[in-house]
Amino acid sequence: MTSLLTNYRIWAYLLFFAVLLALPLTGDDFWLNRVAKYLCFGMLGAAIALTWGYAGVLNLGQGLFFGLGAYAMAMPLKLASYTSLQQGSDQPVPDFMLWNAQPGASTDLCCITPGSWLWIPFQSQWFGVAMAIIAPVIVATLLGRLIFGQRISGVFVSIITLALVLLARLLLVDAQPLTNGFNGLTDLGYFNLFGTELDPYAVTTYYVITIALIVVLVLARLLVATRAGTVLQATRDSQTRALYLGYDVPAYQTFFFAVSAAISGLAGMLYVVVAEFASPSFLDLTFSVSMVVWAAVGGRGSILGACIGAILINVLEARASETEALVEAWKAIVGLVFVLVVIWLPQGLGGFAHDMMRRLTGRWRPEALKQEVRQ
Amino acid sequence: MFDTLFIGLSLSSILLLVALGLAVTYGAMGIINMAHGEMVMIGAYVAVLSNIWLGTNLLLTIPLAFLVTAALGYGLERLVVRRLYGRLLDTLLATWGIAILLQQAIRLEFGLSFFGIHVEGLGSGLQNVPVPQFLQGTLGLFGLQLNSYRVFIVLVTLVLAGLTWFTLYRTPLGMKVRAIIRNPQMAAACGIDVKATNAITFALGSGLAGVAGVLMAGFRSVSPDMGATMVVDGFMVVVTGGVGSLLGTMAAAGILGEINALVAIFFNEIAGRASVLLVVILVILLRPAGLFSFKGR
Repeated sequence: MTSLLTNYRIWAYLLFFAVLLALPLTGDDFWLNRVAKYLCFGMLGAAIALTWGYAGVLNLGQGLFFGLGAYAMAMPLKLASYTSLQQGSDQPVPDFMLWNAQPGASTDLCCITPGSWLWIPFQSQWFGVAMAIIAPVIVATLLGRLIFGQRISGVFVSIITLALVLLARLLLVDAQPLTNGFNGLTDLGYFNLFGTELDPYAVTTYYVITIALIVVLVLARLLVATRAGTVLQATRDSQTRALYLGYDVPAYQTFFFAVSAAISGLAGMLYVVVAEFASPSFLDLTFSVSMVVWAAVGGRGSILGACIGAILINVLEARASETEALVEAWKAIVGLVFVLVVIWLPQGLGGFAHDMMRRLTGRWRPEALKQEVRQ
Repeated sequence: MFDTLFIGLSLSSILLLVALGLAVTYGAMGIINMAHGEMVMIGAYVAVLSNIWLGTNLLLTIPLAFLVTAALGYGLERLVVRRLYGRLLDTLLATWGIAILLQQAIRLEFGLSFFGIHVEGLGSGLQNVPVPQFLQGTLGLFGLQLNSYRVFIVLVTLVLAGLTWFTLYRTPLGMKVRAIIRNPQMAAACGIDVKATNAITFALGSGLAGVAGVLMAGFRSVSPDMGATMVVDGFMVVVTGGVGSLLGTMAAAGILGEINALVAIFFNEIAGRASVLLVVILVILLRPAGLFSFKGR
């Protein structure tokens, strides 16, 4: 009975992967670059589905993890940029640091501006890659320990994460000599993957990101099917019950929170490779809420659904923005669709597709629908 | 020192203006209304439009803005919010969608811009409302020169807070609302029409936001996205103060506003803002129920 059920799920994943892998056949480099960006957003959708759909934890500050990943990658790429090599020093130094430096200061990365020594390890690209994952995981683990250890849940988690991302954004902009403040890091170089330079418009780069997305989706899907994933869903449905059954609820919640943060960090890192910039706008409240919107429309309870939702909304938005008059109207349409989806399709398009497949395969059980994610 | 405290007080009063309406809707109904900031924005636009088209004074638009936003809130409750009771996080999402719709309605001039019609006072640009003569300039008080309009805002905020307190604690409607805060099912069992009361409560909260909007139009430029950041501040105040506690909300607005002003004076503006966020995070971590809360439900 379950074999048929899992079958069409597997087919949905395979179909999605096949479409992604076949996309370069269109031969449109410009759109390939855009889609590559949206695939990074797709990872964010999956990350939101993991915490929101499976753990019932609505993180309104996912942009913090995305931003950490993005800056960790942007720092080595900034140092690899030709602008950093032209600053009259034998070592690469970011151009904005020279603009900020005190007259007569040493033009060395160690002491050109206060705190610039933090950039020294980022001369290695792989250190940036490692930090893009490790930093979000550390922050998420500490935060998760604090929040879930106190058994804080529901909307309070959302408010804390929201306050935290705004706080981080303030500090990021304030640390101008170190981060170039509002302007963010631009004029980045290419990432060097074992001798291949990842040109954002090259098919190779697109494939690197596609494969990363496929790995993320498969691992996340396998993870929620494990025993830990089942326990997590039990904590979502009733924290007290799971607690009384003897499970260490905060540990499970923290673990999945950290996994979601790692995925977001990876997404931020890859986004910088294709978008060639990192800016404080990644930590804007609207960006973090947008991710939630993508996941809600795609289906919060389905990792694949949330991922496709993110990609689809962004592709449509890019199409709409090609027509001048549609730019503002498009936002209104998203707002309206979103309200309608929340009211009538709480499980999003993914949940809708799932129900349709159940009907088609004759496994229609209306009572199963009643189990909406609440709170 | 006293002028710093006064700046803090005026920051507090603005926070409280936004938070009052939220304290009513979130505290009483458990609705996270992300469109609350947009209600403030609509209130500000009522001031802009009535100033341009009717030539009314800023003070006279206060009741008008209250009526417009209260009616809007009532409609919103009937059409959307009512379907989402018990789905707390979903109300957050649906009202976020509504917030976008309201912003775009102003930007696109209710769709008229598609037909090439432009209404003065709408659109995505910045708008300004003149402040009446007697509220301009400064006011000498206890040997200090205080900005008259800021003093006026503090006074109006106090009056509104008083009226809200009176409505909640001294009227039959308030009695019903408080019963619903404690236990909605029990309130319904006692014969209170929970749905009707909630609709009126939501309208009241939205109306308060509209009044806040008119007052804000007097000291800052009005734009379609002015509400987006306000709602976050408002929520932080309500959550810090303790959900369902009006006095808690007032105290939290006072504390957060003063912290912001004091830290900003001694360090800088960013440190002031950062310290407020930090205090909010710490309060939720250490006292998830808020500073002033009662055991309910």
